[in-house]
Amino acid sequence: MARVEIRRISKVFAEHTAVSDVDLVVQDGEFLVLLGPSGCGKSTLLRMIAGLELPTSGDIVIGERIATRLQPKDRNVAMVFQNYALYPHLTIYENIAFPLRVRGVKQKAVDEKVRWAANLVGIERLLARKPRQTSGGERQRTALARSLVRDPDVFLLDEPLSNLDAKLRHSSREELRQFQDRVGVTSIYVTHDQVEAMGLGDRIVVMQGGSVRQVGTPEEIYLHPADTFVATFIGSPPMNLVTTGDTILGFRPENFLPETNFAPGADIMRVPFRVQRVEYLGGDRLLYGTVSGALPETSVIARIPSSVACAAAQGTEAAFAIARSELRSFSASTGRAITHHDRPSVRSSAHG
Amino acid sequence: MAEPRTVQPGDRTLAYVTLAPSAAILILLAGVPTVTVFFTAMQDVGMGETSGPYVGLENFAWALQSQVFYKALWNTFVWVFGSVCAEMVLGLGLALLLNKTFMFRGVARAIILAPYLVPTVVAVLVWRYMFHDIVGVLNHMLMVVGVIDKPLLWLNSGTWAMVSVIIVGVWKFFPFVVLALLGILQSIPQEQYEAARIDGASAFQQFWRITLPYVLPVFILTALLRTIWTFHKFEIIYLMTGGGPLDATTTLPILVYFKGFVDFELGRAAAVAILTFLILVVLLVAYFLLMKRAEARQ
Repeated sequence: MARVEIRRISKVFAEHTAVSDVDLVVQDGEFLVLLGPSGCGKSTLLRMIAGLELPTSGDIVIGERIATRLQPKDRNVAMVFQNYALYPHLTIYENIAFPLRVRGVKQKAVDEKVRWAANLVGIERLLARKPRQTSGGERQRTALARSLVRDPDVFLLDEPLSNLDAKLRHSSREELRQFQDRVGVTSIYVTHDQVEAMGLGDRIVVMQGGSVRQVGTPEEIYLHPADTFVATFIGSPPMNLVTTGDTILGFRPENFLPETNFAPGADIMRVPFRVQRVEYLGGDRLLYGTVSGALPETSVIARIPSSVACAAAQGTEAAFAIARSELRSFSASTGRAITHHDRPSVRSSAHG
Repeated sequence: MAEPRTVQPGDRTLAYVTLAPSAAILILLAGVPTVTVFFTAMQDVGMGETSGPYVGLENFAWALQSQVFYKALWNTFVWVFGSVCAEMVLGLGLALLLNKTFMFRGVARAIILAPYLVPTVVAVLVWRYMFHDIVGVLNHMLMVVGVIDKPLLWLNSGTWAMVSVIIVGVWKFFPFVVLALLGILQSIPQEQYEAARIDGASAFQQFWRITLPYVLPVFILTALLRTIWTFHKFEIIYLMTGGGPLDATTTLPILVYFKGFVDFELGRAAAVAILTFLILVVLLVAYFLLMKRAEARQ
């Protein structure tokens, strides 16, 4: 078990900067998720921690050691790959045993460890099979068991659930989290799936274009996005953004409700909402339309639970409102969030 | 109900009809001559004749009792074993090298494949020049370096003549092995090596535990294929040494040629050809069995 520190890491591939000046500390035993769209540098960052890529500049500290130039095998990290990277010619047993075999561990100890790991992920009955005779979920568990037998200091997981079907992904996510809680090993998990990130991470690192946009707990990232990128990348549908002069107002679709839902005298901003299209999704309805009134005309989305009465029909204009506590504001020039104490300007302009 | 389709699933008539022309050509060009050889082998055919009196298995009896046949059989074994072993070792080594990333890799790959593209006649003529005892560049170079102190009689001594034809054969056909093995090497997912590196495997362990198991099925199939092709190779030996000196490089195909078109004993030539064919059948069956097993594994 170990703490991982990333100090001003950059990676430049022939003219293309994949990771740019990233600073990060992963606490001992923490489950940290690197989240971002494809090409944001999250996988490159993970591969540098694993030792598969050498950073162009900066250092990586694992535990007490500077690991930047250590060979992967000397870092005591374990990695689970997106396609699991199991050895097709070996049985599940030998796949799990591989890290011990190459270290020349005695057969008795190997057997003990393999059975312990297989038991932990629940694949003991598959040990005699070859990978091609197992399902995607079983392969993923095998990869997990293989990464486990060495008692690694850090787990690195590169989109380990993305090759599973939706239903299996859900249950595997749950298992993965329980598993990490049990073994308590520092884990760094790469994904482009925000639901996975929110559900798994103690903290989430949102990356874009090789840089870190925000680091925080799932709540912090969802409720207080650091900039417009995070605001629109997290949440589905994304946060509504309305540009008013030099600030951008943001509000989540689920906070944009018919005015009748608010208690009289609540601190709200009233907004007329012209509904263009209603999408019924079972638990919720999505209302696509345009705001006007105090705000410049902008397309936004409202998400209303099906249990909430809402008379607004397609083509009509309805009285909607947002609680002021749920309003976020960003600078129109930089996209960065404007913190609470300098919000009054927004308040006055919205009253008008 | 709408009118049923003219061709229903499972109806193979159309398949047979469309396959018939190709099947006919194959039978005419491969089937008929093969069967004819069986009949010729049981006849005493002399000069200028295409058939002769029926003699039963006499031609086979002759072959199995003659020194010439066993000498040719032994020569064939030396030629095939020597060539294939050298080709496989050289081919695997170069394939592993070419699989690495380095500057001018594309150029290196193209150059290595060149021998495979040079016409055999041209290649052999050039090689014969190089092997020449007096004006050959090979003897000259070996003497300059000091490996030998007097010219080697490459093509005029029994042992060295066999070595010479093997060298030319290997030079001509190892690119095929490189090509086949490079193909499989490139299909090994990079993650396997990355996972192994993280799991602590050394370079040798990666080769032994990942590369080799991947390559092995293709390696065996290629070796078998090369064995079959080398077995009935004719033109390299014929052009290099003509089977000489003193039958030192007379392999079975060369013997068939001499019997049939120099001694004009077509019946005996056919008998030797059929014995050669039987050995090849065994190799072919092995090849197809292994091929099937490899495919079943995929």
